[in-house]
Amino acid sequence: MIGTPIDVLPYIRGVQLILEGYHGYTKDKRIENDALVRGEIVRASVRVRSHMQNIFDSEFKRDNMELARAAKQCMEECDLLAEDVGKAPGGMEHAFFSGQRSPSKKDLKNLIKHDHDVIEMVTKATNIANSAEHSIATEDGNTLQFIKQTTQKVSSCRGFFGARANILKGLKTKKK
Amino acid sequence: MANYRWRDSPDVIARLVNADKIQTFRTQEVLLKPNEACAFIVDGRIGDILTETKISSLAGGFSRWVGDQLGMTADDRRLLFAMTGPMDYWVPFEGNLANGEMAKGYANLRMKLNTDNVPKLLNWFANNSPILTRDGVISILKDELHGRVVTPCLASCASGNDLRGADFLERFEMTTEMEMRNLLSNLGFTLLKAFPITNPTDMELVERHRAKIEAQMEGDSINLEAQKAEFANKEALTLQRIEMETNVARAHARGQVTVQLEHELKALRAEEAKWAAELERDRGQVALAQEDREHASNVRIDEADAKSTRAMDMFKQVQDRKAERISNQQNFQNQRMENQNEVQVKMMEMAKDAGALTPEVMAEFLRQQTQQKAVDSDNPAPAPQGSNCGCGTALQPGWKACPNCGSAIV
Repeated sequence: MIGTPIDVLPYIRGVQLILEGYHGYTKDKRIENDALVRGEIVRASVRVRSHMQNIFDSEFKRDNMELARAAKQCMEECDLLAEDVGKAPGGMEHAFFSGQRSPSKKDLKNLIKHDHDVIEMVTKATNIANSAEHSIATEDGNTLQFIKQTTQKVSSCRGFFGARANILKGLKTKKK
Repeated sequence: MANYRWRDSPDVIARLVNADKIQTFRTQEVLLKPNEACAFIVDGRIGDILTETKISSLAGGFSRWVGDQLGMTADDRRLLFAMTGPMDYWVPFEGNLANGEMAKGYANLRMKLNTDNVPKLLNWFANNSPILTRDGVISILKDELHGRVVTPCLASCASGNDLRGADFLERFEMTTEMEMRNLLSNLGFTLLKAFPITNPTDMELVERHRAKIEAQMEGDSINLEAQKAEFANKEALTLQRIEMETNVARAHARGQVTVQLEHELKALRAEEAKWAAELERDRGQVALAQEDREHASNVRIDEADAKSTRAMDMFKQVQDRKAERISNQQNFQNQRMENQNEVQVKMMEMAKDAGALTPEVMAEFLRQQTQQKAVDSDNPAPAPQGSNCGCGTALQPGWKACPNCGSAIV
């Protein structure tokens, strides 16, 4: 059995701060961990969408179409991220039957590090979205900038999460 | 173990299942795909919400029956299944535009259920049948969508043209997003996209009809123009054919005429050549006659000239002889005069010498001398005036012979 690589323990601890049940893809917990990570990303995207929804409602009622349009675009980006994550491949339980090879230490390390980075990125997006909504309340004039930054973060998160599929794809071919 | 199918139609969105009602000897299991979720409501509490998994021992089976009999299982177990993927809902609407036109169409709402929001469907199932279909969702949304979104958006359109603009679509979507949130959130739905599809309005139908009629008229006009062009083309072709035939006939006739004319010309030329030959012949004859005449005339002239020349020569000879004779006479007279003069001089000298030279002698001498001179200078008798020779030539006085015919003049 392949154990959890030691050098990714800091990443595991970081993820565990957010996801309590996360164990870094230990045996028999891999699908569970995968579902945890994806669920967290979806939840974060829902949080971002919620902030943008508030901004959209507020600005649309004020007939500020520029901000409303930007917020709507960000909401659509969040929906796309949630859909991408929700329908992403999660790997197989039984490598012997599936045609996958067993994950190596390097694979696990990459996956754990990637999970950490994606969660960190989507958390940042949530924070910026929160700042955008706060900016609406304080009327400091930076709302559009925050909204666009949030959209960019969520967009980047979509792209970055796509790389996870590449890592999992690497497991699909058995080494002889 | 048997597979439980919670969804038997594509229109089913969600279903609330009372697990206690599933009484079978075989245990039931259900497979949840990634776009399906199942929420457990056990004894009135919302339990886990599962997706992408297989739920074994869902219901039925001997062990569960024994547990129920012993009171070891929950009293109430319900399973709420739902589709979580995005789905399109077509909500029909109709309303009036600002100008009174009636607009009909469909509002497309693309919505999804988040897995965490699946239990919210209990709000609907509390008062409705345990199966939620697309029509059910549409019936829930219809009135509110019509009142909050469609009517205000249509009222903001001045005419049917505004319905087709991007601004209307954007405003419709944003209005739907904002105004429908309360209802959708209560049901657990998330709106992803909304857009209207309107049928053509009455005025647009009129415009379409007008455009169609205009296009038809335009087409008829084009056809007419094409037919006119075709007729003109045919006319031009016919005229050209007739002209060609005429030209051919004309050329044929011209050819025949030319041939005939050439034939006639040839005959005429033959006639002309004949005439020319005859003329040449006549001219030759005339020329010959003329030549003969000229020859004869020349001969006569030559003869006359010869005679004249001979006469002139003879006349010249006569004149020469006459001049010679006269000269001789003159010389003789001069000589005689000289001799006489000498004699007279001598006589005078002798008379002088003899002293006999008196005035009477002198006068006698001069008288004799004058007489002598008169005798010496005495001319022969002149020829008769106005006489003609036998050849017709006028004769001058003094002529001894006719200069033309040479006959002697008597």
